[in-house]
Amino acid sequence: MELTLDHRIEGEKTVLEVGGEVDVYTAPKLRERLVELVGEGHHDLIVDMTKVEFLDSTGLGVLVGGLKRVRAHDGSLALVCSQERILKIFRITGLTKVFPIYDTLDEALQGQA
Amino acid sequence: MAMVVLRLPPDTQLVGLARLVVITAARDAGLDDERIEDLRLAVSEAITNAMLAHSRNGCHEPISLSVEDLRSADGTGDAFAVTVQDEGPGFDPEACAAREREWSEENGLGLTLIKGLADHAEFVREGGMRVQLRFDLPAAV
Repeated sequence: MELTLDHRIEGEKTVLEVGGEVDVYTAPKLRERLVELVGEGHHDLIVDMTKVEFLDSTGLGVLVGGLKRVRAHDGSLALVCSQERILKIFRITGLTKVFPIYDTLDEALQGQA
Repeated sequence: MAMVVLRLPPDTQLVGLARLVVITAARDAGLDDERIEDLRLAVSEAITNAMLAHSRNGCHEPISLSVEDLRSADGTGDAFAVTVQDEGPGFDPEACAAREREWSEENGLGLTLIKGLADHAEFVREGGMRVQLRFDLPAAV
């Protein structure tokens, strides 16, 4: 399945909606979009993964890279994900301690766990 | 006996196709949906590692993917196994796992996922790297 990427501004945050499969072949497109957004001054990001069908370690690496980029500008990167099979990947790798992860976009926008 | 054997050119675009082949075989073998998701990711990580090893070393040889149902003839359970064999230089899985704990974009988390998802994962440095993943199958009724 194709990777889809759409972003929009919601108040002070930029929401990047990711859909489809994020793997070694498609992850560079996600990395490129994150680099562009940070370069354009979007330093408070919410990556909405509700429509992600598959995520591998390459995708995790890109998200970690995005987090480092926004932190270099005192920014933030939160994730929206409620799919158990994706959450399991964050748990196994210990990344639940690194990213704020919210069930819904509304919660992420309000910064409520 | 091998159910499926694929020889994949080292092209990352083919990782998605390999995932599809493996999960179709796993469904036929009776693996349940939750375990199929685990298998899907673990296999993807193993193939990705192999493809990147070939790419880094300028190796154009294909990667071998073998899918087997290891259930014994008397139906007393056993495993669904996927073996990925590459022609790269191999790696030390313990050293790689240590690097993965540093959480960087460059150091992937693939081995951590493989070990966390498969019921058994074996890494053998032999003519490249051979990674075998096993997922327990329910005993036949």
